[in-house]
Amino acid sequence: MMDISLCLKRPSRMGDSKRMRMTSNFQWLLLTVLLLYLMNQVNSQKKRTPRDLKCITNNLQVWDCSWRAPSGAGHGAAYEVCFENGSHSCYRLEKNIKLPALLPGDHEITINPLHDFGNFISKFTLNEKNVSLIPDAPEILDLSADFSTSTLHLKWNDKGSVFPHHSNVIWEIKVLRKKNMEIVKLVTHNTTLNGRDTVHHWSWISDMPLECATHYVGIRCYIDDPQFSGRKEWSDWSPLKNISWSPDSQTKVFPQDRVLLVGSDITVCCVTQEKVLSAQIGSTYCPLIHLDGKNVAIKIRNISASESSGTNVVFSVEDNMFGTVIFAGYPPDIPQKLNCETYDLKEIICTWNPGRPTFLVGPRNTSYTLFESFSGKYVRFKRVELPTNESYQLFFQMLPNQEIYNFTLNARNPLGQSESTLLVNITEKVHPHIPTSVKVKDISSTAVTLSWHLPGSFAKIKLLCQIEINKTNSIHELRNVTMRGIENSSYLAALDKLNPYTIYTFRIRCCTDPFWKWSKWSNEKQYLTTEAIPSKGPDTWREWSSDGKNLIIYWKPLPINEANGKILSYNVSCSSDEETQSLSEIPDPQHKAEIQLDKNDYIISVVAKNSVGSSPPSKIASMEIPNDDLKIEQAVRMGNGILLTWNYDPNVTCDYVIKWCNSSRSEPCLMDWKKVPSNSTETIIESDQFRPGVRYNFFVYGCRNQGYQLLRSIIGYVEELAPVVAPNFTVEDTSADSILVKWEEIPVEELRGFLRGYLFYFEKGERDTSKMRVLESGRSDIKVKNITDISQKTLRIADLQGKTSYHLVLRAYTDGGMGPEKSMFVVTKENSVGLIIAILIPVAVAVIVGVVTSILCYRKREWEVIRLWKSLQGWKDRAVLVELACLGRGRSLPRSSGRRSCCSRPDVPKELDPWFQAPPSLQPYIQREEGALPPGCQGGLWLAWPVSRVHRWSSRVAQQKFYSRATSTSTT
Amino acid sequence: MDLRAGDSWGMLACLCAVLWHLPAVPALNRTGDPGPGPSIQKTYDLTRYLEHQLRSLAGTYLNYLGPPFNEPDFNPPRLGAETLPRATVNLEVWRSLNDRLRLTQNYEAYSHLLCYLRGLNRQAATAELRRSLAHFCTSLQGLLGSIAGVMAALGYPLPQPLPGTEPTWTPGPAHSDFLQKMDDFWLLKELQTWLWRSAKDFNRLKKKMQPPAAAVTLHLEAHGF
Repeated sequence: MMDISLCLKRPSRMGDSKRMRMTSNFQWLLLTVLLLYLMNQVNSQKKRTPRDLKCITNNLQVWDCSWRAPSGAGHGAAYEVCFENGSHSCYRLEKNIKLPALLPGDHEITINPLHDFGNFISKFTLNEKNVSLIPDAPEILDLSADFSTSTLHLKWNDKGSVFPHHSNVIWEIKVLRKKNMEIVKLVTHNTTLNGRDTVHHWSWISDMPLECATHYVGIRCYIDDPQFSGRKEWSDWSPLKNISWSPDSQTKVFPQDRVLLVGSDITVCCVTQEKVLSAQIGSTYCPLIHLDGKNVAIKIRNISASESSGTNVVFSVEDNMFGTVIFAGYPPDIPQKLNCETYDLKEIICTWNPGRPTFLVGPRNTSYTLFESFSGKYVRFKRVELPTNESYQLFFQMLPNQEIYNFTLNARNPLGQSESTLLVNITEKVHPHIPTSVKVKDISSTAVTLSWHLPGSFAKIKLLCQIEINKTNSIHELRNVTMRGIENSSYLAALDKLNPYTIYTFRIRCCTDPFWKWSKWSNEKQYLTTEAIPSKGPDTWREWSSDGKNLIIYWKPLPINEANGKILSYNVSCSSDEETQSLSEIPDPQHKAEIQLDKNDYIISVVAKNSVGSSPPSKIASMEIPNDDLKIEQAVRMGNGILLTWNYDPNVTCDYVIKWCNSSRSEPCLMDWKKVPSNSTETIIESDQFRPGVRYNFFVYGCRNQGYQLLRSIIGYVEELAPVVAPNFTVEDTSADSILVKWEEIPVEELRGFLRGYLFYFEKGERDTSKMRVLESGRSDIKVKNITDISQKTLRIADLQGKTSYHLVLRAYTDGGMGPEKSMFVVTKENSVGLIIAILIPVAVAVIVGVVTSILCYRKREWEVIRLWKSLQGWKDRAVLVELACLGRGRSLPRSSGRRSCCSRPDVPKELDPWFQAPPSLQPYIQREEGALPPGCQGGLWLAWPVSRVHRWSSRVAQQKFYSRATSTSTT
Repeated sequence: MDLRAGDSWGMLACLCAVLWHLPAVPALNRTGDPGPGPSIQKTYDLTRYLEHQLRSLAGTYLNYLGPPFNEPDFNPPRLGAETLPRATVNLEVWRSLNDRLRLTQNYEAYSHLLCYLRGLNRQAATAELRRSLAHFCTSLQGLLGSIAGVMAALGYPLPQPLPGTEPTWTPGPAHSDFLQKMDDFWLLKELQTWLWRSAKDFNRLKKKMQPPAAAVTLHLEAHGF
């Protein structure tokens, strides 16, 4: 605060008193007026001197001090102002004084009004601290707008030249929008005053297109001078400047075709004279923000990526619509996997992956520039299509004598740019083209030259080419060829160690040294090498014909690697000590020749011929050395083939020959043969021709100087099967207790394995019974005989029953299984002695019994009655008995009143018919049995003798007697 | 194969049918010039085919333009599309047109529309869209040639383009993307209307040329021009 002392040099004089017109006589009012009057008198005394000295500065060089003039002093009143600043200075002036900035410290200032009202001098102590620094309001030099980017550009001068030393300045800028001056931006901006007038710039991008509403800008400043100790204050605001778009008559939507980052906010407005009804982005309606006039805006927040044709924003009015397209996307990603290589050392191809899609297409798509820093050359890439994830590529022409390239790939779109760099020695990044025009040329039957075309300028580097050699039915072979690169792109390589007359397939690929990448394989080139003479004679064997007069010579076709060409014919000759006999040429498909020879020793030689020449002769002796000690052995396949072994024979000098044939074939039998070195003692015979269940004969021959000797003869199967037929058998002899059976051998073709035995089953049985169907079920009544002696051809079956039918079954078996069965029914003969005995004994017994019975019956007829009692049962029998009893007593039957048949129950009372009682000797027996009688039969008799038998016999006898008596009774 | 009596009758009937239709076989019917009838029919068929093709193309293209252009009830004002030939015409005016005028208007319209379509093709951002547009342009070129053929058959001269009236495609900053989309929309719409109108025109012409008596009359008319 300013410390001001006021000295009154003369007593205060009462000025003109105000005349108070009292309208009221109230006492309190008078007192109040009096009090006010006294206070006014005191103040008016003060007011008669200059007071309230205030000093401000706007440039730190001049202090502008002013004071309040004493009351009564009119305009134009003069003052004498004196102050000390090293020296005493007085100035005569009217109102305020502009002092040069005083040195730090207190300074006394006296202000003496130079007028007639009195002699009041004011004294002030002035210090820099009491001075306010208030800069002048800045002046906006220029306010411009870039409507396309909605950017305001502000330009002003800091007028730094008026300030004595460097100071910091804070500028405050405000942006107001619309006619009602809504503050939309208040920002501070720091600069430094450097003693010179400097024009400053400030730019601001509006969130709303500048066309949408009028924008105002004002600026003020605050100088923060550290050396100034006084009070610092903001300047006044500069006069506002505004930016507005002068619309034409047409309605327009802003911004137009704006590209912006995905996720950002944007305000779109419609400048129109018509009432906007709705606004939509895409298909989404947005609330309207009303601006000046009928202009409206919409705010879009966090915008998502646009489709390829952009995002449409449409404002609809009564009968029209207006719109704009917004393109929301991303700035280009850093090009990824940038790789530069060359195919031919003439052109560099750089490929890269664009990375994240930008969602901007067409004219807003990312453009790429490939810049090479050493040469300063560049190439541009512009892709109009929607970018995909596929690699992009650019071709850069190589420069002479430049091997190192420093590439920078710059990607740019309206939202930004990015780049990727690559330093590459291009001679180390050669990826050759695919070799073309592969040609093959003969050198010999085992060597060729291979030529190909490899486009490129490889004169300064080495090439490594790989040749793949493929042979039919053989693994492929790779040969590497290193060669110096040449300018004319034609390359040549020789390939040796090939086989004559062989179809080869060649293909080539190349790389450079140092290795970067192989080229693709060239197309395959097939080539047949030329023929050479056959390297070996054919594998030969001979057989004597069945009549022993002709020698049949067999040979095998030469394998392709030994034939060395197409075999056209064979020459066969036989030579003995005396003569040499040649047959005419035998054309190729024929591999056998027959020569009529005597039993002398001959050497047969066979020569194969192709277009180039003849093979070395293949020789074989005609003589066969006999071997008396020969056994036929058996062999079955073990593992892959039939294993044949033999003992080492030092006499065998050449080799062993194993020949084999199907045993069922006629002589000379030969399927194939195999030669084994003389030091071998075993071999495995394998052949695709072998079939299971077929018997093969194997013959092992040892080769000696003078001929072949059969060492072993073996029969074998690759797999044994069960016989397909049952042995035929017949019954040779039959007796009452035995059968002699004889059977035949099964033919080899049907046996299908080595016979291991027979199974013979027999049992009692008639034809057409099915008992034998379950022969193997282990039934005890079936008897089985296993005949393991395969030489046995008969079998006697003993202990049979005479005149009995027997079911016989025979089947053979091998290791391969059981063959089918053959069955027969045989009835044994009758035993005659036994038959006679069987007849005579019962007859004799019957006679004896008859005689004895007759005698006994005659002697004691009561027995008969008792026996009959025992034999009869039931009422019928009893009736008969009654009659018999009557008959026996010689009494007539008791008569009843009714008609009575002989079979009806007699209705005679017991007491009246004592004959109805059992005889005394039977009474105990009868009594014992009565309890067991059925109801209604009480008092009757139960007889153990069967009715049928007794009835037949007794009734016959009894009836005869009864009827004869009845007849006699009736007659009497 | 065994032929029964019924088969023989069938074959005879078939033979008779073939003989009956033999005069209708064009290669055998060499009685005279077939006249413009076939080419009118061909043009009519091509128009119907293009209508079908445009339905597919418009669906794809409007989806490419994005909403609201692909919304069914979207009906923007015809702002910048004033240079497009209008297909809509007053019914009385259309009835009063003679054949030559009809064909001339068709020919001129499709010449302009084809030119605009080619511009559209250049602007399209996706390869698939460009292929579709190129295919349609080829078809439209065929229709244009077909109309020219009909006109030639009827003895009408082809309209000569006036110098300076060649339609131009004016993309660039002066033409905003939104207005461009509006134009594209209207181009497709006008094309659709023109094809519809052409189908009517050629159908009318076809009916006029159909009866043989009419062909003679037409011949005389042609001489009259």
